Amino acid sequence: MVEKKIQCPSCNEIITAAGNPGDIVSIICPSCGTEGKFTFKKPEFSEEVAVEVANLRKVYGDLVAVNDISFSVKKGEVFAFLGPNGAGKTTTVEMIESIRKKTAGEIKILGINIENSFDLVKEKIGILPQEFYSFEKLTVKETLDYFSQLYKKRADIDGIIEAMDLKSEENKLYKDLSGGLKQRVGVAISLVNDPEIVFLDEPSTGLDPKARREVWEVIEGLRNKGKTIFLTTHYMEEAEYLADHIAIIHKGKIIAEGSLEELIKKYGDQSVLRIKNCKTKNTSDILKDYGFAVEREGNGDISVKINYRERVLEILSILKNECIDYSTIDIRRSNLEEIFLKLTGARLSGSGS
Amino acid sequence: MNLKFIKTDLVLGIKQWTRSPGTVFWTILFPILLILIFGAIFSSGTDVEFDLVVQDLDESTTSNEFVGILDNISGINVINLKAEKDVTKYMHDEGEKVALVIPEGFESIIFEYMQSQHDPNSTFDMDDLPFNLKIIVDPTDQTQPSILRSIIISVIQQFNINITGGQNLFGLSEEKSVGEDFEYIDFFVPGMIGFTIMTSMIYGSIERNTKYRKNGILRKLLTMPITRSEWILSKMLFMLFLSFISTFVIIIVGIIAWGLNIHMSVFFFILVICTSFMFSGLGMIIGRFVKEEETADMAGGAITFPMMFLSGTFFPLDQMPVFLQTIARGLPLFYVNEGFRNAMIYSDFSQTVYYTGFVVAFTLVFFIIGVFVTKWKED
Repeated sequence: MVEKKIQCPSCNEIITAAGNPGDIVSIICPSCGTEGKFTFKKPEFSEEVAVEVANLRKVYGDLVAVNDISFSVKKGEVFAFLGPNGAGKTTTVEMIESIRKKTAGEIKILGINIENSFDLVKEKIGILPQEFYSFEKLTVKETLDYFSQLYKKRADIDGIIEAMDLKSEENKLYKDLSGGLKQRVGVAISLVNDPEIVFLDEPSTGLDPKARREVWEVIEGLRNKGKTIFLTTHYMEEAEYLADHIAIIHKGKIIAEGSLEELIKKYGDQSVLRIKNCKTKNTSDILKDYGFAVEREGNGDISVKINYRERVLEILSILKNECIDYSTIDIRRSNLEEIFLKLTGARLSGSGS
Repeated sequence: MNLKFIKTDLVLGIKQWTRSPGTVFWTILFPILLILIFGAIFSSGTDVEFDLVVQDLDESTTSNEFVGILDNISGINVINLKAEKDVTKYMHDEGEKVALVIPEGFESIIFEYMQSQHDPNSTFDMDDLPFNLKIIVDPTDQTQPSILRSIIISVIQQFNINITGGQNLFGLSEEKSVGEDFEYIDFFVPGMIGFTIMTSMIYGSIERNTKYRKNGILRKLLTMPITRSEWILSKMLFMLFLSFISTFVIIIVGIIAWGLNIHMSVFFFILVICTSFMFSGLGMIIGRFVKEEETADMAGGAITFPMMFLSGTFFPLDQMPVFLQTIARGLPLFYVNEGFRNAMIYSDFSQTVYYTGFVVAFTLVFFIIGVFVTKWKED
């Protein structure tokens, strides 16, 4: 069930209408009595779309965990669902995976409405649940064999072992693997049926930076093979590194969506070029004369705000022509952490609550 | 129903089981320890009981006097049984453990003996002595018969001294209330089988449900083509496999170590299967509500241990207070134990059917509820 606020065309009174996508509901304005009808539009689905979510909602008692969100994931892309812990990422992805019941909304996977037809898509998707821990007394190869035999369509297990760089570990028991290898096996399990879409729920949580990088490389490899990846994460670096498309979720609502470039362009601040250890005293004045916004920092560094990449070359040219003495320069652009902070007033690494 | 899925999952269960020292211990070593330790304890156990069924076939003044002596002994409650009654049937029906039969001729042998002491021409043959009274004992109770036996022997000896001055005029022969040569261990084993199946099924179900839920395996399976009913069936087949292993280990070791003497019938197999399904169902119900793996053992213990002690697994029910006996009759393990005992020991068809019927009813209730509450999908 979805709620929409509608303005009465006669008296401008705000009326709340409730219905499901596709419903046509009758409305009577409580103020002026004007009668009318409202159609809850069904989203249009495209064949290029792997996952489509419309007006998805999940309520636990008084708590709205997922609040009327809509988004789509294109085939072949890495879609990152980014948000802090408790934001509603796993609740959302588990509703898409049919693990959790939804309160309202519509979910389609590869054009199939999963409401009563989830069985039809089981063979086409692979899933790594959050905090997944497989059978500890099975070897890597036995684990993959077990899961693959529960599908009709099966991928070449030896091929997956090779692709996941697990050959040297294939006869080791799962319990004896490192955290990074366990996650790699988890991803490998999600591939045993050669799925079109792979759902990875927090695949690198709890891993050290090296192991996390290994998992990223595995996901990059999947993208290169044309798989659609639905990734949930609370690591902004992960989303920045891997995602073609990012949806940022906060307190059950999607607050921003787009490619990294689009998000930075739309929500990010100006990039900053920093001239380090600048020894020429009037550098700030020189740059100001050229129309730059300059800020002198206490340690001799000078920060220059820039809007366009072309202006970087202009600054470098000025530094050379004016014989300005400095040690190095770097450019720092806005990142997802800053965007999230700007949009929510909270840090991404903090709690979603 | 995809048999390949079931077979695959079944092979998984066996592989994991053979590689886990803990579960192998519970399935094989723990039953062996139980039968060796408890067998040794109950082979020489001591305890006190008071009821003594007396059937006086002589119905003479002297035999009455003998019964009166027994009745006057503190702690013995004599139950007089009419001569026409079947003693062993009465013992079985009433749960009595010891009976004493005073044969016809009890009084006349005294008179004949005393006459022979004064009449050198008497035909009384001393080689026919002693004149044996018959004690009938129920071997399900190792302690009560031994105490009553020694009391009866001492009364007989005193009687002998009073009459003959030391000659063993009367003696005591012994029979068992079941028709064959059973030992206590034969009666202990059915309870142990019931208890072993109960613990492995309940703990197995609880652990599987909590651990698989915590590790995300149930969530993973939910997104795969295998159905919940296929998964439950494969797990049940695996659990049945464990039940039969444990049961046969108990029986085989019991035969080798203690000369176990039991009957195998179709009811034995029905009871093993039903007991496995019943307690798996109970485990599924508990597992549904025990979210934390760490509390699973406690929940299992909270169910199994009181049931073990209250259901006549190791101790005869009639040694417990009446209110506990009433509680026992509400516990499924009681019917399992009695079903196994009647099927394996007494070979009492009607009683076996009676108790098996209760077991089947409990099985249907627990297993259906268990399957119903075992959910993969989260709310």
